[in-house]
Amino acid sequence: MEKEKALEKVNKIFIDVLDNEEIVLSDATTANDVEDWDSLTHIQLVVAIEREFNLRFTSMEIQSWTNVGEMIDCIISKNK
Amino acid sequence: MIFKEGDKFIEKFHLSEKIYDGFITLFKDRNPLHTDEQFAIDNGFKGRVMHGNILNGFISFFIGECLPVKNVIIHLQEIQFKNPVYLDDRLDFFAEVSGVFESVNTVEFKFNFKNIETKTVAKGKIQIGVFK
Repeated sequence: MEKEKALEKVNKIFIDVLDNEEIVLSDATTANDVEDWDSLTHIQLVVAIEREFNLRFTSMEIQSWTNVGEMIDCIISKNK
Repeated sequence: MIFKEGDKFIEKFHLSEKIYDGFITLFKDRNPLHTDEQFAIDNGFKGRVMHGNILNGFISFFIGECLPVKNVIIHLQEIQFKNPVYLDDRLDFFAEVSGVFESVNTVEFKFNFKNIETKTVAKGKIQIGVFK
């Protein structure tokens, strides 16, 4: 899966879960950059991403992400 | 994780006078649809329509008391009210695990309530966290 396409899909998920049409993610985006991206919405985001991409993360993988780019890389590696 | 996709749960609930009175006493919603028989009939119902959020109380009981583990917390709950519930109705509650997300210790259920005519009166989803 192309990184750009994955980022686009993840962006749509963020818009839907956080109910904020203005979200524009980049590889460098972190939770500090997105309003309302807190620990509870993080769970909603992970659930929505796992469902959308039909994959499962491990808790270690989730804890290792420091930005959206690393999340996208993880999605792509699981979709290969 | 103790839950797996497809696990099913069934409970029975009775919308008793005690629950109805208790809900009104606690939350003060005395809208005539809920408290005035004639008003409800004039608006196309068979009688006083019970507060939909009483069903959320039943869901709270289900999550808090009926699951095989107690270390749970509700993250999210969505409910659609499809048909009216009346005083003294007996409801069958069906829930099924629709998703298990171990990475975030989270479980989702689909649920519905059916009345004695097997008509769905409410349906929705619940997402819970299972803490360690």
